Amino acid sequence: MIVGAIAFYLFAGMIIASAVMVIAARNPVHSVLFLILSFFNASGLFVLLGAEFLAMILVIVYVGAVAVLFLFVVMMLNINFVELRQGFLQYLPIGGLVGLILLIELFFVIAAGITDPEVVALASAPIPPLSDLTNTEALGQLIYTRYVYLFQTAGMVLLVAMVGAIVLTLRQREGVRKQSIARQVARTREESIEIKTVTPGSGI
Amino acid sequence: MASLWQGYALPGIIILLQILAVMLPVMISVAFLVYFERKTLAAMTLRRGPNVVGPFGVLQSFADFIKVFFKETIIPTGANKVVFLAAPILTFVLAMIAWAVIPFSEKLVVADINVGVLYLFAISSLGVYGVVMAGWASNSRYAFLGALRSAAQMVSYEVSIGFVIVTVLLVAGSMNLNDIVEAQRTIWFAIPLLPMFVIFFISALAETNRHPFDLPEAESELVAGFQVEYSAVPFVLFFLGEYANMMLMSALTVILFLGGWLPPFDVAPFTWLPAPFWLIGKIIVLLFVFIWVRATFPRYRYDQLMRLGWKVFLPASLLWVVLTAGVLVTFDWLPA
Amino acid sequence: MPTAPVPDLIPAIPEIWVGASALALLLYGVFRGNKHTREVAWLSVLVMAVAAVLMFAVQDGRQVTFSGAFVTDDFAVFAKSLILLGSAVALIISQGYIRNEKMERFEFPILILLATLGMMMMVSANDLLALYMGVELQSLALYVLAAFKRDSLRSTESGLKYFVLGALSSGILLYGLSLIYGFSGTTNFETLAALYSGPAAESPSIGLIIGLVFLIAGLAFKVSAVPFHMWTPDVYEGTATPVTAFLALAPKVAAMALFARVMVAPFIGLLDDWQDVIIVISMASMVFGAFAAIRQTNIKRLMAYSSIGHMGFALVGLAAGTEKGLQGVLIYLSIYLVMNIGAFAAILTMRVKGTMVESIDDLAGLSRTSPMMALGIAIFMFSLAGIPPLAGFFGKFYVFIAAVEADLMVLAIVGVLASVVGAFYYVRIVKIMYFDEPAEPFERPIGREMSAILTGSGILTLLFFIYPAPLVGWAQTAAAALVP
Repeated sequence: MIVGAIAFYLFAGMIIASAVMVIAARNPVHSVLFLILSFFNASGLFVLLGAEFLAMILVIVYVGAVAVLFLFVVMMLNINFVELRQGFLQYLPIGGLVGLILLIELFFVIAAGITDPEVVALASAPIPPLSDLTNTEALGQLIYTRYVYLFQTAGMVLLVAMVGAIVLTLRQREGVRKQSIARQVARTREESIEIKTVTPGSGI
Repeated sequence: MASLWQGYALPGIIILLQILAVMLPVMISVAFLVYFERKTLAAMTLRRGPNVVGPFGVLQSFADFIKVFFKETIIPTGANKVVFLAAPILTFVLAMIAWAVIPFSEKLVVADINVGVLYLFAISSLGVYGVVMAGWASNSRYAFLGALRSAAQMVSYEVSIGFVIVTVLLVAGSMNLNDIVEAQRTIWFAIPLLPMFVIFFISALAETNRHPFDLPEAESELVAGFQVEYSAVPFVLFFLGEYANMMLMSALTVILFLGGWLPPFDVAPFTWLPAPFWLIGKIIVLLFVFIWVRATFPRYRYDQLMRLGWKVFLPASLLWVVLTAGVLVTFDWLPA
Repeated sequence: MPTAPVPDLIPAIPEIWVGASALALLLYGVFRGNKHTREVAWLSVLVMAVAAVLMFAVQDGRQVTFSGAFVTDDFAVFAKSLILLGSAVALIISQGYIRNEKMERFEFPILILLATLGMMMMVSANDLLALYMGVELQSLALYVLAAFKRDSLRSTESGLKYFVLGALSSGILLYGLSLIYGFSGTTNFETLAALYSGPAAESPSIGLIIGLVFLIAGLAFKVSAVPFHMWTPDVYEGTATPVTAFLALAPKVAAMALFARVMVAPFIGLLDDWQDVIIVISMASMVFGAFAAIRQTNIKRLMAYSSIGHMGFALVGLAAGTEKGLQGVLIYLSIYLVMNIGAFAAILTMRVKGTMVESIDDLAGLSRTSPMMALGIAIFMFSLAGIPPLAGFFGKFYVFIAAVEADLMVLAIVGVLASVVGAFYYVRIVKIMYFDEPAEPFERPIGREMSAILTGSGILTLLFFIYPAPLVGWAQTAAAALVP
């Protein structure tokens, strides 16, 4: 088990370290790269928990898709972080205070979760033992039965986001010549070329 | 002490040996793949190809490797040094670690994990970082353009690859690569899922930045795209990574659609040959197709590439997912 | 492989119908293009009408489905009726504007439809997660709608402002929900109600109370109650007028109904803990709404402050926390909806020489240029001010009675004083219409649908006092469904 413990502290430590670097790095691209590192380690923690499906999905969705677009945008925008940082010290006390309050509340939650037996009993445990099902199946059975309503609603929310993005940004430009592959393919010899017999000396 | 040896050191050494047993052949086959590609292209364009170093020029690639290896590693002044060097390493490492889950036969696999397909998909989706980091860190216009193209291209084609994988999972009923291969004992998935097979193979071309989707490196317009500033060892790493990736995508195609290590027919003369032979044989056939495509098709224009990915492959693969699921449920063919 | 049990879909038929229709209409719109916006809009209205019919058809007391995430009862049906009415009317009165301002894009009705779906989910939520998902669906559609007139800088700005503040409030809401979940171990309303009804209600953990406060803060943003109202005037003023109308109608009702449900259904046992918070934001909203509206010159901004005030009045009923109070809230919301439909329909007819005007001074002398319209606006303004015997008076009457019965004298007194102050700016509009020199006359005619809606809501507002029994009775059944 010692290897498991070492791996846990390695992953957890790396998450925290890279999370700190995300906000501390001077270069925004470095920040995104550290963010990716942090995602990656989080997925390592999932593997340690035996939730390999979640681990892989985390890598595929967040690292493989979301963070790429992040990086894409950050690389294109050329943000000047030094300017953004100017108010940092000024807002540090209030920001730190808010963070501290949230942290204390989190500790409350954890303490209550450990001590209150009623809460523990109430927290439903619909996860079947690992030996019966792979966790992919277990997740699927929960998402598509018990939480199907929320799952479908989440789909609707994403649809609205997509429609919104298109509504607010798509502009049909006038006068753009578009390639119509169907038309190109459907072109026949008869309609595209014309054979003229040229008599010598007269031109066309 | 004994338990330490038994519990940690010995398994550790075994794992290391296993890793080496996979990595070394992969790296050596890259050399031969390059030779194979040059020879095939030469034959298709009526040339001779490499024929000087070694018999029939077989050792040409090794000679090239040695030459590039001993060149000076040049890091451009404006480059972001750490990221610049990390990018090729990342590409190389990703191309190598993916091989851990490829089953060469029923038993011959380094890590037989439950979510093998997802693991491969995750690794291949990470490949884009090598390219993007290289392009950005080089601090060069050409490299940056290559990186941008690559990022958009790989993300776009990953979507349809994902749906293709979902279809295969529906039919196979497992994410374990060995189970998927076993599920093809009666019939290779390439036959019932032919359109998905085609989509997957074409997307694999795009995912590995191969012709006709090699816009990120497009020699004629971007010089060498994201690789333009690289030389010596980092370049070798990129090179090894890219070709290993090509082999990996072929291996994945074989496992998902062409019956993996299964012989084509489950009868006597075919079953005599060992399982790894079949897997490698099928991979070589697919690699030939990769090269064949390169020799045949002109490069896609960027808008055509995007159009194909988003407007053709994505709807088509989505439709097939729904269709496959519908058929499986209707006829009660769902795998147990 | 175990077969998955199919949840009972019957109680959720109206929602499923609206969702499926929205998808179908989206496809229709994509294929037919923006030229067919009008059809899509009328089809959406039809969809809402059918949804209402379906809702009454499947109504059968209290039904819970989707593993306890979704509930439909008399309260939900009441609120959904108001929501569907508000959305449908908002869509109808927006038609002319959309045509004139070249905003004809088929996504507009579809986004309204999806927002309506979100609102219906909100009032039917029986689980903290379902609540959050409903709120998000509704808000996201509203953010887009607020920025819909994308060529207008003000509209874009209001959309952005709404989005940033809305996202913040959603975060606060979600944090509150997670705290509640963390301290109680459940997200289901019934389990929460069971947990906090007996002795546990005597000494709830401080973390849960903090979670509840976060929840109230998040919801107060959605109903735009002080001190979470800052977005309202800017967004109302900046965005396109039909969107303002929509924002002031259905979402307010939905958020208020959700507020009532989430406070009463799971947490009625903790009434002592949350009552004070509601009282404070209620008083603040009433007072602020009344005073801040006085200096306004823009009618949309004025309506924003007016809606802040009205939400304060509705919260008075919730603060009582009794069945009577909830009945008051529901009656208030119904009347608020009808009055605002009229008011916004009138605002949408304010066109001079092909452009929309939205200054209060543009109404000057309306009694001479179009007396019927002036009469209508006067009715709505008097009603909004709460002058008897118009409908608005009864709305206030019921909530104040409930407050008094719940021993909240101070709240009731502050409310009455605030409505006296509020009456000033409503009456000022009437004065401008009847006694000032006429300004440029508005474009006429206003169209059949507009006149029908104006007449209908005018008559309802004017003659409500003759026969209020059906609404009062229905509201009572609805409120009884919520209070155990």
